Amino acid sequence: MGVTCVCQVPVAEGKSVQQTVDMLHKKLEQLGAVKQGSFCVDCETYHATGNSSSQPSKLLYVMHNSETPLSCLALFEGGPCLIADANFDVLMVKLKSHFQNAKGHKVESRGSRYRYCDFLIKVGTVTMSSSARGISVEVEYCPCVVPGDCWNLMKEFMQSFLGPSVPELPSVFAAKPEGLFAPADCVDTMTQYLELFNKLRKLQIPGSNVR
Amino acid sequence: MEAPPVTVMPVTGGTINMMEYLLQGSVLDQALESLLHRLRGLCDNMEPETFTDHELVYLLKGQQGNPFILRARRSLSHPTAPWHLRYLGQSEVGDKSRHALVRNCVDVAASHSLPEFLNEMGFRMDHEFVSNGHIFRKGAMKIVVSKLSRILVPGNTENTEHLSLSYLVELSVLAPAGQDTVSEDMRSFAEQLKPLVHLEKIDPSKQRH
Amino acid sequence: MSGGPAVRISIESSCEKQVQEVALDGTETYVPPLSMSQNLAKLAQRIDFSQGSDSEEDVEGEPKDREWGKQDGEEEEGTVKFQPSLWPWDSVRNNLRSALTEMCVLYDVLSVVKEKKYMALDPVSQDPAAGKTPQVFQLISKKKSLATAAMILQKGAEKLSKSVAENQENRRQRDFNSELLRLRSQWKLRKVGDKILGDLSYRSAGSLFPHHGTFEVIKNTDIDLDKKIPEDYCPLDVQIPSDLEGSAYIKVSIQKQAPDIGDLGTVSLFRQQQKNKAGMPWHVKLEAAQNVLLCKEIFAQLSREAVQIKSQIPHIVVKNQIISHVSHTYISLSISLCHSTGEKKNNRASPEKPKPDDHLYVLEHNLHQMMREFHKQQLSSVVMPHPSSAPFGHKRLRLAGPLAYDKAEISSWQQTEGLLEKIIKQAKHIFLRSRTARTIDSLASRIEDPQIQAHWSNINDVYESSVKVLITSQGYEQICKSIQLQLNIGVEQIRVVHRDGRVVMLSHQEQELQDFLLSQMSQHQVHAVQQLAKVMGWHVLSFSNHVGLGPVESIGNASAVTVASPNGEYAISVRNGPESGCKVLVQFPRSQIKELPKSDVIQDAKWSHLRGPYKEVHWSKMEGRNFVYKMELLMAALTPCP
Repeated sequence: MGVTCVCQVPVAEGKSVQQTVDMLHKKLEQLGAVKQGSFCVDCETYHATGNSSSQPSKLLYVMHNSETPLSCLALFEGGPCLIADANFDVLMVKLKSHFQNAKGHKVESRGSRYRYCDFLIKVGTVTMSSSARGISVEVEYCPCVVPGDCWNLMKEFMQSFLGPSVPELPSVFAAKPEGLFAPADCVDTMTQYLELFNKLRKLQIPGSNVR
Repeated sequence: MEAPPVTVMPVTGGTINMMEYLLQGSVLDQALESLLHRLRGLCDNMEPETFTDHELVYLLKGQQGNPFILRARRSLSHPTAPWHLRYLGQSEVGDKSRHALVRNCVDVAASHSLPEFLNEMGFRMDHEFVSNGHIFRKGAMKIVVSKLSRILVPGNTENTEHLSLSYLVELSVLAPAGQDTVSEDMRSFAEQLKPLVHLEKIDPSKQRH
Repeated sequence: MSGGPAVRISIESSCEKQVQEVALDGTETYVPPLSMSQNLAKLAQRIDFSQGSDSEEDVEGEPKDREWGKQDGEEEEGTVKFQPSLWPWDSVRNNLRSALTEMCVLYDVLSVVKEKKYMALDPVSQDPAAGKTPQVFQLISKKKSLATAAMILQKGAEKLSKSVAENQENRRQRDFNSELLRLRSQWKLRKVGDKILGDLSYRSAGSLFPHHGTFEVIKNTDIDLDKKIPEDYCPLDVQIPSDLEGSAYIKVSIQKQAPDIGDLGTVSLFRQQQKNKAGMPWHVKLEAAQNVLLCKEIFAQLSREAVQIKSQIPHIVVKNQIISHVSHTYISLSISLCHSTGEKKNNRASPEKPKPDDHLYVLEHNLHQMMREFHKQQLSSVVMPHPSSAPFGHKRLRLAGPLAYDKAEISSWQQTEGLLEKIIKQAKHIFLRSRTARTIDSLASRIEDPQIQAHWSNINDVYESSVKVLITSQGYEQICKSIQLQLNIGVEQIRVVHRDGRVVMLSHQEQELQDFLLSQMSQHQVHAVQQLAKVMGWHVLSFSNHVGLGPVESIGNASAVTVASPNGEYAISVRNGPESGCKVLVQFPRSQIKELPKSDVIQDAKWSHLRGPYKEVHWSKMEGRNFVYKMELLMAALTPCP
């Protein structure tokens, strides 16, 4: 597992989400990237039904990533996170009287997975309640685990197919102490996806209700 | 187009409806050696292993009903091994035809951030103890002979005190619901351990009173 | 009463008769007087015989006349007795009296006997018959006693022999038990009913082979006691399942040409004569059976894989043979299970002509090893969970969730190479290696100049081995060591590493390696000239490994070097091609040329310092044992004497 950057790609002017995605695919293939199957990242939202009136109810997110098929990630926004095996989902069912699944809050990003040398690129369509909300692009540079060491390389690579909409260094990495060896792991990736999902969730796409 | 309600929501992964079949008994410290000897003979040809575990029992109190209990266990002898989070359902003792106590069971392997995370979820630690002993295997059956120790200073697993002068013996099998034949195997195995130890189905809910 | 002997006393009974009855007429009926014998009988009745021997003697030896006296005495006594014991000493007195009486009687008897007139004492006569019979009787009695003695002895002997037999039986029993103990220490045993069953399968070692592998322990103690116990007698015997009897091995061989399909499946290559298995001790039997089981397991596993694995040319499984094609159509790997169960097969094996041993022992060994590795993997994959409450399962799977293993890592666990794939790869490697060795050897023997040396490394991987190839010239090893090649022989190709780090990949084709080595050898000669020139003080004017001019070589390129003599007068130019061979030209100084071509331009004397034309050296006619030596001679000849 290398350093991963997840970013949102705006839908091209006058194009649909699918058309923009196709365009990205085309650009990647032109670069020489090879398609290697598909991927899926999903996120469920739970909120506590408990009597904890004293403190505001925090949201619990349970996420899955097809890249780590046997794992399940549970995290509180800005709080601790837990990496567990798939049985955690079963436990959440048992816990349903205490943690309610926020209906209609299931977000997922599905798409194709490309490999270009040491880079792994995943272009996905973010859907919420089966309506497309946006496009996510994940770029992973596999040989390196220190974000600071490879960020410029990644940025350059992303520029080659994303053009101007290249993101800044993700905040998860920025928060880490500079100069120290702080390996990136799957939590960083998922945190970025969660941030992206939350951003898209709040975003009301005018035409979304139609579809 | 709403997401399906919680109850019918498909579970993405994991094994649903696993049951734990359990028989329990105890031996005095003096009888431990002969029991281990017998177990070595009866069980699979594996090196018998010792273990030292630290178990924390967490409660989540809701508005009504019984608190939700979760057991988090970590291995002190294998500190890098993942934590084990366990939910145990109500035990079904009533059925006389079954020779073992049966209860619903969810086993989750979790990262080391588990205690912190459970706290965040609202769980509070009720009690903790250290369990050390021997573990055996016979096919799907797991036999754990363990000594329970009280933790004198919370969180310090070094400073412990034995709870009793005996060892807890547990014979358990994990199986999908409905496979009652396993209890038959367990009974015949328990028979072979007599008279060193008498394994019975003990209802924990009755034990508390 | 005891009067002296002088006085004779006549004792007569009184005539008074006892009146029996008085009749009515007054007549008295008297009791008739007792006759002597009646009287004696009457008296005798009175005698208490239990009183002692003295009185008996008295009775016997008493003369009749004394009897009366005695009677009187007795009567007297009787009167005394009638009186109640009036005084305390009465009993003493009575006893004294009776003692006195006895003494008197004794005295009388003795005196009577002394007179010899009335009585004589004769010794009691012995029975005369008793003296005559003893011989008969003695014989009988002796016989009888001897018989009894013999009987006693016999009984004793019987007892002894019985105990000896019992001892032996016990010892055998003990032997059986001790043998059983030994068996128990090496093999898994369990008791089922009244049988003792053992397990010779590799299940406890991680095998998944479904064969039960059970043997039975038999007590072999009831042998005939009378017969001599054979030397190798063992009280414990084992009964092995019939399909595991005999011996077996896996034969792996490489076949050059595709065998006729009809010949398949009839491999039975038992050369060594089977030992009589009845005499085999149990541990030999068990080990043999276990080996058979392992061979069967290996073969079963290979057959299964052969059927499952898709390959361009499908693997053939016929009876006890698996044929799989290695890399070329004409080479196939044959793996066969040879199992001989008894004596019958030996007869069949004999007509087979003794073929050269084409076993690939290394592969056979590796198959066994890989099977055991597989077993171990099976065994080590089931580890105890930690913490103890966690469910059983693969350790890796338990870690996968919490450590968030990614797809690639998880899929890397699943794809494991099968036994067959591994063994085919190994076979390919072995084949490639042997062929490489053959190529190098044949080149070395065919070409004497330059020489090829191959140094094979002893330690190899199953898929890779390496050889160092040196190309040298005899006698010039120290100065001409330009070509050192490291050949890494893999499964499908050979990787050649030059001394300077250049890497050349060669395929498994034999010709490629041969061509490559030939071109290297040709280059070596040119390099050697270059090295020699340095030593000889000549100057290298030009050098090229790959000459672009001249005839095109079919293999590689020709290389060339030009060297000039120390004073620059002469130059030697060498062109060496792998195919065309070497061509040596010498350039003479213009001054030495007699018949210079007439040229209009260079008439002037100064032009005589120009280099002259080249002349080819008839190299084959040169003196010298090899190329470099010839070159040295040539250079020496062209170097002016100082």
